[in-house]
Amino acid sequence: MGNAIRARRAARLSAIACGAISAVAASGTASCAQTAQDPADQAVLSAPLPDPFHELETKYLFGFTEGADIGAEGEQSVEFETTAAFQRREGRYGEVEQEIEYEGVPSQFFGYELSAHVSGYDIAGVAGAADAHGVGFSGLSTELRYLVIGRGPGSPIGLTLIAEPEWARLDDFGQPIADFSSAFGVVADTELIANRLYGAVNLIDTPDVAKSPGQSWRRSSTTGATTGLAYRLTPKITGGGEVEYYRAYDSLAPRSLQGQALYVGPTLHIQFTGQTMLAAAFSSQVAGRATGEGYGLDLTDFPRYRANLKLEFEF
Amino acid sequence: MSPSSRKSGLRLAGAAALVLLAATASAQEAAQVRLTLKDHRFSPAEPTAPAGKPIAIEVTNLDSTPSEFESKTLRVEKVVVGGGKITLNVRALTPGRYRFYDDYHEETTEGFLVVK
Repeated sequence: MGNAIRARRAARLSAIACGAISAVAASGTASCAQTAQDPADQAVLSAPLPDPFHELETKYLFGFTEGADIGAEGEQSVEFETTAAFQRREGRYGEVEQEIEYEGVPSQFFGYELSAHVSGYDIAGVAGAADAHGVGFSGLSTELRYLVIGRGPGSPIGLTLIAEPEWARLDDFGQPIADFSSAFGVVADTELIANRLYGAVNLIDTPDVAKSPGQSWRRSSTTGATTGLAYRLTPKITGGGEVEYYRAYDSLAPRSLQGQALYVGPTLHIQFTGQTMLAAAFSSQVAGRATGEGYGLDLTDFPRYRANLKLEFEF
Repeated sequence: MSPSSRKSGLRLAGAAALVLLAATASAQEAAQVRLTLKDHRFSPAEPTAPAGKPIAIEVTNLDSTPSEFESKTLRVEKVVVGGGKITLNVRALTPGRYRFYDDYHEETTEGFLVVK
């Protein structure tokens, strides 16, 4: 807190104390009378109290949708991220992926993450998939974030480019695979109400090449557009919601559409301290269609429910 | 393009952009801003700096306990030990008020860099 702010608060407290004294003794005290008559102090009394809602990093504010902030130069952190997917059209389907991530911000424009993935599966009776139960090391990934426009006094909008190359050795159904993909994203966000209401938009493309044992290489891709709103309920707790739309293709370029899905869901972000953060999101597929199927959801290419939990420790 | 060549291309482009930014920043002489921390108070609490020039912020900690200078809008953070001194190099800024604080005492120790 700045000295000026502290002085204003002290003067305000003094004035409140004077008011209380005056209520008991109609004459008040000499110092109180002087305080009330001083134009400078009257200005102090009319000034607003300092806002406890300081700047908040937006990166994890919107659930599956990302914010544009990359962190501060010199920042290092460890994150534990859990992502779960549940329910296909029939049978039992559950996949939980646990990532352990190291995050660094070497400059005011560039941040990165290095991640190791472990996945657990509980799959039985899903059409087109073998039953799978167990836990295993499932892959490695990195995320590179380049800040094009920093949100702040000079710009109401933040804009970041993201690339997230990933190698996976197990597929979404727990089967061995050699899978190389990279999500490429454009992330924009803004403060609709300063330090209170935030909004973000993501555009994503994820080309993917994969090879199962005994089979040839298969190409696919997923494109998506997501948006989220988040409102700070208290200085440390932010709640919101997001909408995500994805399209799955059987080709690297968006030509052969396999299916599409629309998700909606709530988000929660808690900044426990300057060094500890928790973010959670849950999304349900509310509309979708797989090519060649007549159902109202695409549960062939996408799960019915998704959940995400992040816990970050900065050091 | 294979995923591996995409990755290589992206890294090269990112590295080139970083080199270009670094070269642009170093080509201009940085404006100096000097702050002290005593009794967990920044002095001055509202330093000024010119817009459009890189800024070197020197923080001297006169307290015996460590502090962490941090600013989300300046996008820098660095620990300064008790009795120590650090310098943070900040990119050229547009006019505005940029809040900074001691991350170990955020609710009581803050200031604003006023860029004009």
